[in-house]
Amino acid sequence: MEEITSLKKKAIDSNLEKTIEMFKNFYSVPLNKDIIIRNFSISGLDKKATVIYINSITDSEKIEEHIIRPMLTNTVSDKKLENISPAQLLNTHEIYEDILKDINNGNTALLIDGETKAYVFSSTKFQGRSVEKPLNEVVVKGPKEAFNENVIDNISLLRKKIRSENLIFESYTISKSSKNVLYIVYMKDLVNEELLKNVKSKINSIDVNAIQNLSLLEEYIEDRNKSIFPTILSTERPDRATSYLEDGYIALLMDNSPDSLILPATFWSFFHNSEDHYLRFLFGNFIRLLRLLALMITLFISAIYISVTNYHVEMIPTDLLLAMSASREVVPFPSIIEILLMEIAFELIREGGLRVPNPIGPTIGIVGALILGQAAVEANIVSPLVVIIVALSGLCSFAIGDIKLNFSVRLARFLFIFSAALFGFYGMTALFTIGLFYIVSLYSFGIPYLAPMTPKYISSKDTFFRKILKNEQYRPGYLKPKDMVKKKEVQ
Amino acid sequence: MNSMDSTKGKIGLKELVALILLDVGTKVADDTPHTFYEAFGTAAWIGILLIGLITLIPILLLTKLIKLYQDKNLIDIILHLFGKYIGFVVLFILWIMQVFANISNSAIYTDIIGTMYFNRTPVVVIYVVLVAVAAYGAKKGVEYIGSSAWVILFWVILSLLVVLGVTFVQGEFTYIFPILGTGGWEIVKGSYNHSSLLTDFLYFGFIASNVKNVSIFNKGIWIGFSIVLLSFLLALIGYVMLFDYYGVRMFDYPYHETIRYIEIGFLTNVELLFFPFWLISSFIRFSFYLYLSALLFGALFKIKHFEYIVPALAALTMLVGLIPESAIFSMNRLRVIFLNVIAPVFLLLPCLLWITAKLKGDFKK
Amino acid sequence: MPILSGCWDQTSIEERAYVVAIGLDKSKSGNENQIQVTYLLANPEFSKKEAMTNEPPMEMITFDTNDLIVGKNKANTVIAKEISFNLLSVILVSEEFAKDKNFIRWMYDTTKEREIKRNTPVIVTKEETSIFFKQNHPKLESRIHKYYDYTLKYGSEAGMIPNSESNLGKYYRTTQADASLYLAIYGTSEKSNYSRSNEEDSLMAGEMKFGGETNKVQFMGSAVFKEGKMIGKLTGEETRATVLLNNTLKMGAILATYKDPFDERYRITAKLLKKEKTDVKMDLKNPMPTIDVIIPIYLDILTQHSMIDYANDAPKRERLKQSIEEEITDTFNALIKKTQEEFKGEPFGWATLARKQFLTIKEFEDYDWMKTYPEIDVNIKVKVNIGNFGNQSEVPDLEEMRD
Repeated sequence: MEEITSLKKKAIDSNLEKTIEMFKNFYSVPLNKDIIIRNFSISGLDKKATVIYINSITDSEKIEEHIIRPMLTNTVSDKKLENISPAQLLNTHEIYEDILKDINNGNTALLIDGETKAYVFSSTKFQGRSVEKPLNEVVVKGPKEAFNENVIDNISLLRKKIRSENLIFESYTISKSSKNVLYIVYMKDLVNEELLKNVKSKINSIDVNAIQNLSLLEEYIEDRNKSIFPTILSTERPDRATSYLEDGYIALLMDNSPDSLILPATFWSFFHNSEDHYLRFLFGNFIRLLRLLALMITLFISAIYISVTNYHVEMIPTDLLLAMSASREVVPFPSIIEILLMEIAFELIREGGLRVPNPIGPTIGIVGALILGQAAVEANIVSPLVVIIVALSGLCSFAIGDIKLNFSVRLARFLFIFSAALFGFYGMTALFTIGLFYIVSLYSFGIPYLAPMTPKYISSKDTFFRKILKNEQYRPGYLKPKDMVKKKEVQ
Repeated sequence: MNSMDSTKGKIGLKELVALILLDVGTKVADDTPHTFYEAFGTAAWIGILLIGLITLIPILLLTKLIKLYQDKNLIDIILHLFGKYIGFVVLFILWIMQVFANISNSAIYTDIIGTMYFNRTPVVVIYVVLVAVAAYGAKKGVEYIGSSAWVILFWVILSLLVVLGVTFVQGEFTYIFPILGTGGWEIVKGSYNHSSLLTDFLYFGFIASNVKNVSIFNKGIWIGFSIVLLSFLLALIGYVMLFDYYGVRMFDYPYHETIRYIEIGFLTNVELLFFPFWLISSFIRFSFYLYLSALLFGALFKIKHFEYIVPALAALTMLVGLIPESAIFSMNRLRVIFLNVIAPVFLLLPCLLWITAKLKGDFKK
Repeated sequence: MPILSGCWDQTSIEERAYVVAIGLDKSKSGNENQIQVTYLLANPEFSKKEAMTNEPPMEMITFDTNDLIVGKNKANTVIAKEISFNLLSVILVSEEFAKDKNFIRWMYDTTKEREIKRNTPVIVTKEETSIFFKQNHPKLESRIHKYYDYTLKYGSEAGMIPNSESNLGKYYRTTQADASLYLAIYGTSEKSNYSRSNEEDSLMAGEMKFGGETNKVQFMGSAVFKEGKMIGKLTGEETRATVLLNNTLKMGAILATYKDPFDERYRITAKLLKKEKTDVKMDLKNPMPTIDVIIPIYLDILTQHSMIDYANDAPKRERLKQSIEEEITDTFNALIKKTQEEFKGEPFGWATLARKQFLTIKEFEDYDWMKTYPEIDVNIKVKVNIGNFGNQSEVPDLEEMRD
């Protein structure tokens, strides 16, 4: 191992044969079947040459057309190499390590007998998906393009929306052996320098062998890993990413990740949906209201049921109280166990439903409904009201689109259930207050989690409800962008 | 957790007003109105107006002092004006007052939760939860207490407005009469004695350096002052309208009796709808109180990171609060004496400070 | 595991027995300190949709005890689940018990019990409450709490019973204020043999004779309380008059009959509405204090068996108006006289209006409204406004028709 590493640091030999031997050694040819080493001689210059490339990740047509053929058909004897081949010359390297890196990235290396440097031409073509519809963030009205695993495609989608020279894509290599490349995207004239510096220093301090995609990267750069609330947003829609970029946020892109990370992220980034702004003012606010209602329902309703049936029975109107009392008489479990059983069953069905192979998909839905709904009630395991409550809280949690906040809410729901079981409304309120203190003191890359609701900053005040687009004049003040005003007032 | 936020740790106008409203306004819903009705009769609302008038001067002087000594809070001002030794004594008295207020109030609130909502649970448990939540908030720091206050302020005010609205509809306006209640002179005397209701405004001076700037502090104090007076006014009128002076005089906790009595449409028992909102504002109030006592303690004994004293103070509060057997009676009597004693301190201290500042010539600089 | 087995205050919803009504009587044992308490428990099964059980809709238990709070424990020797007053919709007391001078002591127990709310209605029954409960089998309302809710609501709309006044909170308030009289609903399940005049309304509970297959219980009239003790009764008509005089009591539209001035044989049915407040002016500083009351009443004439054409005939309408005004004023005056002579107090809520005339509480208490009221000169004036004459205002001329 030591030997190989030190060998890689040497410069290439001008003797073509020896160099080719070294490469064969490095690449374990003939064990490694898709490494192509093609020998030919450049006509005109009458020199022996070799191209080395990896078949599966290069555009072989391009290599043949643009690199090999011109060399083979060249007639002029003293042309420079750059002028013979129309292909894009990326680099010239002397050290084995650098050449290896480029070949691994899908480029083609041209070695000429008698020269001490190798010419690297760009010919990358990785296989992957094309640009498709978003799977997880669905909107009814709005663009339906999503990021895919090819970072060049993603960059193209972003540049399509912001056609400005100020949109910067900086790249960093963040892991040691897999050499994954991370792109930091921002608007040069908007983003706050300190925030950028902060993010970059975090990234530079990562010392790991491999970070394959953004989801893994997230955990490395987050402030608080174990917190129940997420502090980095991930989105698979380029339109969402661009709206954040234009507000002064920073986006991260990587190969193999069909999404982008947006940071810093406040609570509102998770709560909002792009559709709110695409719809009309009233409809957008209506949807926000529904989402807020869904959030409240999914957090509290099971806990409220437990509190009310055990501690605070006087709250229920008389008829409902008697009906509940009658239907609960035959159930063997206390209401807490009932709720826990149903909640866990619902979560299991949900997880199972995600992983089920497509052919059986719909069947599971029917089976689930049958089992949970009818049969459990008929068998007197649970009372019918509990089925309604658990189903309602589960369905409402789907209204919160972002998957991370979804999980936060689901977990928080269980906490509330336990606190309600201990102390009824007192316990729930105590837990809520503690949660409130916690969430208010949470920071995402230096930004308070609930900004701009509190502490106050100049902003578009886009928290629970939004304004008419004309009135959303300011960029979020807590990001301290260089230019606060989004649009001038229409005269 | 580094931050490039230059306003970190500072309270803005909204948070300050929310903090004031929840801190002083929650007094509407504990046993404070009970002492009012004893002293003023049906004219409790006139009493609160008079209290507002009386306390106008001390609060005005306080704001002037804060404006004069920008970036200093009341602790620094007291030490600066009265010197090290007298200042220490004054701060010590204020600290003792705060701790006593903590203990008596938390005991009473625990009693409220126990008698009104959780009959059989041992008092210790309720107390522990109350103090634990308050300690968690106090340890975080006053800017977070303020932020939390602002987040829920809207809902708390909404619930109070609903309660008051229904009370006015279901109550009888004529119960307000006779207008002057216990009589003119009694009202004035009572106002003086009960002016300690607004002592909290003096204590807000201690967090003046945490507020973004002085003009926000002064604006916040006045806005909070007027809204608090208004809410007391409406609530005191509301309770009498619903229960009549003869009835409400007997209640220990008029707010909770009110929410048990009113009916909204087909819902006959709405008390549990309003209970959580009162509970949250109480938690915030106690967080703030604990923070203040830790702050003062830190100032007295030169402890910089006073957040760490919070758990100790919380435990102390709870242990002492558990001592009296029947909180409501012994606490009540003690509290009335205590309130009467505090009143002159609250009214005179700003005046003394202002006079000293004037004499020192600080106003001329 | 405190979560699963619950802590302290936690009692599951089906583990409670819900007391829907409480009855208080004098103890038959002769022990001065004991009362007879009856709990009426509702069966939750009847609130379920597919309620097909063989269980009865309610359960009743009667026993002697010190007060209704300690009775909770005693009842658990017999009743299976934990007694809970959360669903209490009414408290009944027998007339005998209400007239006892110690009655008020037991009533104040309800303030100590957390589960009894202040807006629970109070009903006074003529006979013992345990007998009342036994006889009360409403045929169409098997859920007994609904029965009480509906009866009290619709009975009070007609003004026959003073519902919005008659709850625990008002009882305490009026008793403590010691200036007005308190009215409670009066009901019974016994038929009375006493028959008054043939007119519709001057009846007490028990006096309305009816047949058919229905419940035996009727509510009509009110019981009058002074300083916490019952001192008398008001008939249905007198209760109506009280409701009209008292601005705080709410009423719906009352249907009543009056003499037809043009034909002695027949009576006129009218719908009464009180659209404006009764105007009460008091002059108390005078050594001879007076109260002037103006009551505005809106009438819609509904039936006229005399078939006289009032709709088109203005002078006839005037005459009708005057006659009704006289009749109503007479009723009021009789009622006032009764309150001043027999009860020596007023149930009209005028004490609170009188408070406007005084500056401090002490002045008002020195004046002692309860003592001065019987001496005050009360002048009642009724202003009748006739509205419309029902759906069809013209009535055929009988003679023309029958010739």
